[in-house]
Amino acid sequence: MVMKNPKLARVAQGARLELVPLQVVVPVVSTIIALGIGLLIIAATGASVVEAIEAFWDGMAGSDFNIGASINRAISLALVGLGFIFASRANLTNVGGEGQIAMGGMFATAAALHGAGGLPLGLAFIVPLAVGTLAGALWGGLAGVLKAARGTNEVISTLLLSFIALPLVYWSVESFHLLRKPISDVSSLPESAEIPDSTKLPLLFPDNGSPLHIGLLIAAIAVVVVWLVLRHSSLGLRLRAVGLNAMASRRAGMRTSFYVILAMTVSGGLGGLGGAIMILGQQFYLTSDFSSGYGFDGLVVGLLSRGSAVGVVIGALLFGFLRSGSINMEISAHVPSAVVLICQGLIVIVIAGSAILTNRKVTR
Amino acid sequence: MAVLELSGLTKRFGAFTALDDISLQIERGEVHCLLGENGAGKSTLCNLVFGVHRPDAGTMTLGGEPFHPRGPAEALQRGVVMVHQHFSLVPNMSVAENLMLGRASAVLKPQDIIVRMEQLAAEYGLEIDPEARIEDLSVGERQRVEIIKCLLGDPQLLVLDEPTAVLQPDEIDALLAICRQVALRGKSVILVTHKLGEISRVADRTTVLRQGRIIETVAMEGADIRSLVRSMVGRDVQSAGSVLAAAVDIEGKTPAKPSSAAGPASPGEAVLKISDLVYRDPHGVPRLDGLSLTVGTGEIVGIAGVEGNGQTELGLILAGLAAPSAGAIVVRGTPVGGRTPQEITDAGVGIVPEDRHAVACIKELSVAENLYLGAIGKFSRFGLLDKSARRKAAEAMMRDFDVRASSPDVSMASLSGGNQQKAVLARELSLDPLVFLLAAQPTRGLDVGAIEAVYNRIRAARDDGLGVLLISSELEELMAVSDRIAVIYRGKLVGELAAGSFSREAIGAMMSGHAHV
Repeated sequence: MVMKNPKLARVAQGARLELVPLQVVVPVVSTIIALGIGLLIIAATGASVVEAIEAFWDGMAGSDFNIGASINRAISLALVGLGFIFASRANLTNVGGEGQIAMGGMFATAAALHGAGGLPLGLAFIVPLAVGTLAGALWGGLAGVLKAARGTNEVISTLLLSFIALPLVYWSVESFHLLRKPISDVSSLPESAEIPDSTKLPLLFPDNGSPLHIGLLIAAIAVVVVWLVLRHSSLGLRLRAVGLNAMASRRAGMRTSFYVILAMTVSGGLGGLGGAIMILGQQFYLTSDFSSGYGFDGLVVGLLSRGSAVGVVIGALLFGFLRSGSINMEISAHVPSAVVLICQGLIVIVIAGSAILTNRKVTR
Repeated sequence: MAVLELSGLTKRFGAFTALDDISLQIERGEVHCLLGENGAGKSTLCNLVFGVHRPDAGTMTLGGEPFHPRGPAEALQRGVVMVHQHFSLVPNMSVAENLMLGRASAVLKPQDIIVRMEQLAAEYGLEIDPEARIEDLSVGERQRVEIIKCLLGDPQLLVLDEPTAVLQPDEIDALLAICRQVALRGKSVILVTHKLGEISRVADRTTVLRQGRIIETVAMEGADIRSLVRSMVGRDVQSAGSVLAAAVDIEGKTPAKPSSAAGPASPGEAVLKISDLVYRDPHGVPRLDGLSLTVGTGEIVGIAGVEGNGQTELGLILAGLAAPSAGAIVVRGTPVGGRTPQEITDAGVGIVPEDRHAVACIKELSVAENLYLGAIGKFSRFGLLDKSARRKAAEAMMRDFDVRASSPDVSMASLSGGNQQKAVLARELSLDPLVFLLAAQPTRGLDVGAIEAVYNRIRAARDDGLGVLLISSELEELMAVSDRIAVIYRGKLVGELAAGSFSREAIGAMMSGHAHV
């Protein structure tokens, strides 16, 4: 209906302005809806719904320890998500976060175990972080080179590079001459030895038992830098131009291949940093499946953020807390893990679906 | 007697009124032209008559009977036929087979079709081989098949939506002749166009549309083309020189040279020198085959030719988007063949590419971002963009080049084609250094006012001493603007005419490979 009366139209517009922005309302409401459906499914499995909710809440934020653990999870998710939006600014879709985490974690472990431990002045953890970042950058950059040189679709190449990286991690913790801890140990699982204390990330609040570590500061810096680069820098504009129209960008004098490779390298590097932080901040030793889906969750975080660094922060926190809650729900309330995964999937679908709704309003 | 009578016809799309209270009569046996700029409502009007859309208000009568087609099928049944801008022919079937499509009879009789085709050939001069496959035909021949398809059923009214946009000069002549033949046989023709020259050659009456309204309907005998232009554009086109010259002097000989302050400058030293340029496409097919050309300072050299004879490739190579297989391109002593676009820009070459949307601009980016696409670093401090400085510079440039947009921050896509092209020209003509400008199909899809602005810019650049290469498929445009016209045919220049000796017929013959000068 067309508003003929200008006064009425103004009032209608004002009313809309008073509300909380649609972009915030919609994801919140949709998460609640998804959780509601999840609870129905939990009830259908025969578990106690009340117990499940209690366990879920307790796991998310029941104690300082749990809050810290949830935020620690969010840190790695945020870094992978930032990497995703960095590449997508150049219209590239990096779905290889899982492999980039794996490479970053593996090389960070290697650096921490072999040499970095004795370094002074915090270099003991900075060097492994840098090594992990470089490893992820290499893994992402490889997809960029393939794209620039041969036009290989980066969705396929990053996915397949993940399928290579995950067995590489497995191989490294299976082989004694690589990263597997010596056989002399009592239990000899296929995993690396624990990294030296000096290489573990310092805790932010060492006194109250929270595992929250300085990865939070690193991630915060990364958020600001990525936001600045993508929104306010000439590099961000060039990435965007190349992504939108490579031909016109070439005509305007840009080296399009360079920007494609750069975008994928930075994107992979952020994933690698996320992997390194997982090892140095919380897990402390490498296992074959240490990345356990963080790359794919981070990909979802990046997708749902729709290119906004702030959106990545919100999404990463949401997923970090949900993951903590659902792990505890599985342990304490005996809800099958499959149901937990179904709930997560529901949230993703509902948020992604509602994004279409907000998109339509925004473009109007 | 009126065949078709429209009264009070209104059509809205959402809040946009495409046609507003249109009343019009099409007489029996007349060629009636619909003239208007892009978006004036010409195509919408055709679509109402052909039943593609239904009017929101108003009535139509056909041969005195109420006419409210609910779809093209009903319009066809009532004897209204239409040739669309995009053909609906099956490429890998023969002409006769295509003509049988849609004739709803269970038993196909190819012989009947061929007999009917022979009749039409005799009546209208619509010669075509029934056995030829559509994909082997030229665009003009395909259009002829569409017209034959329309005339098979002996219609009352033939609607042609911008039929000449895709044709080369001799095909246009043939088409206009066919229109007259159709009208002579008591049928009526509605011809949509924005080319003024065609109207003066073929129309009995012309209706001018602007913003969905009829401005005037005039009989063409003794009509003043200038007043038609005024009605169409809604204002006086300043120094309307070339557009009008092209329209009025359509017959060819020598178009009135528009006078510019400096006059057509006498060409000086060579700015661009192309020698023996060869380009083979990825399949090894030679697209440019030993092309040599020199453009001097202060002259506009036009390249005429039927599309697909190497013009596109020449444009891409000059822009640095394709590397020549052999030959040399030198701009003011600097070899630029096969160099990067940046090196070519640094050598002082401005490029207005043929494909505005794929090469010239990025429509999702803002106007300011597009104006400084090649100089992003210019407004950057420590890697961060100084957007307010860029906005100010962009505003100044938009004022200088009359780029109309509500702000430099709106997306390029929200601009009209004319303003997009003015922005591209603004960017390329603001390059420093600048000694040579390539303008490839610079007015394609633009309306009259914008075309005039583009011509004036190109002429001003010439008067400032630039060498300009103008590639165009519009012969009128080349004759109106160029100081010299070279004709390209199959990747080679086959002839050249100097200003004062331009002739439509001679150029047309060279374009089709028939003559050598």
